[in-house]
Amino acid sequence: MRVPLMLRIGALVLATTGFYTYVGQMVPQKEVQPPRATTLEAGISTADMAKIGREIMEGKGICLTCHTIGKSGALRFPDLAGIGERAKTRVPGLTDVEYLAQTLYEPTAFIVPGFPPAMPPVNQPPIGLTDQEILCVIAALQSLGGTPTVTLETKHHYNSGAAAPGAKPAPAAAPKGSQLRPVPMLQPLASHPVAARLAVAHLATARLAVARQGEGGEVTR
Amino acid sequence: MTHAVVNRKLLVVVGMVLAIGLVATAEITASSGAGGAYQEAPQTAAPPVQSQGVAGEKLDAENKARQSKPYEEAAYRTVPVVGSRVAIWAIAQLHLLFAAFVLAVPIFAFIVEAIGYKTGDIRYDRLAHEFTKLLSVSFSLTATFGAALTFMLIILYPKFTNYMMSVFSPTFLPYVVLFFFEAFFLYTYYYGWGKFHPLVHLGLGLGLNIVGTAIMFIANAWLTFMMSPRGVSDAGAVLSVRDAIFNYTWMPINVHRVIANVAFGGSVAAAYAAFKFLQAETDEERAHYDWMGYIGNFVAISAFLPLPFAGYWLAKEIYAFSQTLGLTMMGGAFSWLFIIQAVLIGNLFLAANYYLWLGMGRVEGVQPLQKFIKYLLIGIALCFMVWATPRSIIATVSEIRAMGGSSHPILGYLGVMSAKNTAVNILILTTFMSFLLYRRTGKVATVAWARKGHAAQLTIFAAVAIFVIFLGVYGYFVEATVRIGLSVPQVLSVLFAMIAITAIDVFLFRGASRTGEVRWGRIPAISQYVLIFIAVTFTWLMGLMGYVRSGLRQHWHVYGVIRDQSVDAFTPTLGFATKVVSVTVLLFFLLIGIVFWITSLHDRPDFGERTGRHPKEVPPDLPPGTPAERLKARTS
Repeated sequence: MRVPLMLRIGALVLATTGFYTYVGQMVPQKEVQPPRATTLEAGISTADMAKIGREIMEGKGICLTCHTIGKSGALRFPDLAGIGERAKTRVPGLTDVEYLAQTLYEPTAFIVPGFPPAMPPVNQPPIGLTDQEILCVIAALQSLGGTPTVTLETKHHYNSGAAAPGAKPAPAAAPKGSQLRPVPMLQPLASHPVAARLAVAHLATARLAVARQGEGGEVTR
Repeated sequence: MTHAVVNRKLLVVVGMVLAIGLVATAEITASSGAGGAYQEAPQTAAPPVQSQGVAGEKLDAENKARQSKPYEEAAYRTVPVVGSRVAIWAIAQLHLLFAAFVLAVPIFAFIVEAIGYKTGDIRYDRLAHEFTKLLSVSFSLTATFGAALTFMLIILYPKFTNYMMSVFSPTFLPYVVLFFFEAFFLYTYYYGWGKFHPLVHLGLGLGLNIVGTAIMFIANAWLTFMMSPRGVSDAGAVLSVRDAIFNYTWMPINVHRVIANVAFGGSVAAAYAAFKFLQAETDEERAHYDWMGYIGNFVAISAFLPLPFAGYWLAKEIYAFSQTLGLTMMGGAFSWLFIIQAVLIGNLFLAANYYLWLGMGRVEGVQPLQKFIKYLLIGIALCFMVWATPRSIIATVSEIRAMGGSSHPILGYLGVMSAKNTAVNILILTTFMSFLLYRRTGKVATVAWARKGHAAQLTIFAAVAIFVIFLGVYGYFVEATVRIGLSVPQVLSVLFAMIAITAIDVFLFRGASRTGEVRWGRIPAISQYVLIFIAVTFTWLMGLMGYVRSGLRQHWHVYGVIRDQSVDAFTPTLGFATKVVSVTVLLFFLLIGIVFWITSLHDRPDFGERTGRHPKEVPPDLPPGTPAERLKARTS
């Protein structure tokens, strides 16, 4: 019996789409819910702040999309294990809290050698953490190799309105599409629109390649 | 006769069922829409409360106050069962698939017609006309889905649609005017075939392409603004419409879509040719549709080869706009989607190469080149495997412990970018070599420097392949800041190889002698199923990449500006997304099947001729006989 042509073609189309649907079911399945605002009670302990901070790092802060904790080798971005201790001496003149605040509010101010300047400011959309949530993240980071010290009342130069020692003032919310700030070596170019554009494109190339280095994600099932 | 009556009855029954179905659908949608939109309606329509003293009067007053509330626009409305997002998703995808087809076909119809005009080969003209036949029905479907999408956006996402209209209202009038011109050019191009001077007709084709592309550019401004907004304040107030249009991803999407549309349109046109080839009853028909399928596939794969580079530019601009968006795409929730993409693209490369190798059989004297195929196949299969290897592996807890982590101790090295970039570049290079082999099948170079030319081509190919692999391996031994820069020389070297080898080939085979003729139509039937497979895979790939482009915004309508507050604000699993993509693809092929069928009516014999039933009374100005007989008599 000869199968009609339309049936053969229909079967081929069905089988092909069926196969790709099957491949789609084979990869890790994760439903991502929109982030919810974190409720912080007054007088919350530093230990609790560290716990909440860790949840924020894994969730709405999307820190662990790029950073690892306790891994070595060819990394995309700096590993966070021991950051609580390293933060105290990373930048001369900055305390651990000031340094950690700087990495979160103004991540391109200091770039860890060997890594690209690819981190976005976490106080701006789309991540948009509040000052209090960032304090919790600082507590969580301090707990990685050190002892958390911050409270909800802790002031640093990004939430106190004071100018940072020898640094630029805290960044205000940027206009749309300007999250990327030129790193210091590119700043002379920033005054020239075409040169600035090329610099941005160059950095973007770097970020794309770095991010793809770990393609396949960290998710396991 | 009996068949005709039965068919007519069947049509009446089908028509009635469809009409009832339409009314029922409208009724369900209207009732569900009302429920979602106006939640307060039941309260306002409640029976009047009887006044019972002061308390009753107070209640009455409250009721009146409620009734006199001003109209409030609903932010969202819902569609039963599937929800608003999936409904919009499917309609938008179908609109885009047809739009891509309608934009792509004129591009290569115009090119093919121009070749025909230049060479004087009537076959090209016929081929271009055949491609264009598919346009008019597809154009209507594109417009229908476009209208459906607009209405659904207004009904289901009124607040957001209102916002988009407030930003982009200056673009609407040009869009409508261009749409009118597109209809004008399309129908005059199709119906005016052979009616104008060839150059006038080519001018119509050019106009159709320019206007169609301009329309796409305007629509791209809307959707890219949602992904990478510019020209608005943090609160969404419009600062500059020009900036909103010229946002970060607008031009990369424009370029990417033009190329991808050509690849997609070529593959669907090749599938049409395959369908006609399989239906063909004569050798002449088979030869024609074999050639048509070959041209369609050639166009598709030629456009497909530079597509990864355009995609790379788009991704780069996404990072330039927002690191978070870029990282979400490549390292976050969507990272596994690119493994699915690797499977699709790997299949496309394999199928395209297989078709080319089967096609070599059309040419006499092909044997000397066929021995290379097995090496090409090995290369493609290896690259495919590397590309589809994920960095981390889905495993049980005990398996993860045994591996010492979620990455396999050996295969994990293939999951990183150094390996993947290398695999993709070698894959492109290998497919290019398949093209080259096919191109020179049945030909022998006769120029004096033929040996040196072949040697130069082989040297370039080998040198570039070694260079790409070397950079890939070198990437494992350097730090991130150095490694990331290696992809650029890899891409540039492959582009250089493709251009240089092609340039040499053109001069090398100028005036070449032939060892055998191309026997169009002499190709195994399986090759035609391969063409259909390629078209389905292309369509599925478009659906998947459309999902990632749109889904990347996650819980934002306009990224970082207008947040999605609906019940669908979450990002679904990849499994769910692939199911929606599959359903859309199946619907598209069902509809494109109808387009093929309607198009084929053009070549169908007249009703009277098929059934043997001729009009009893022939009009006095017509000679007797069937229309075909009259035509024959006239031409003889």
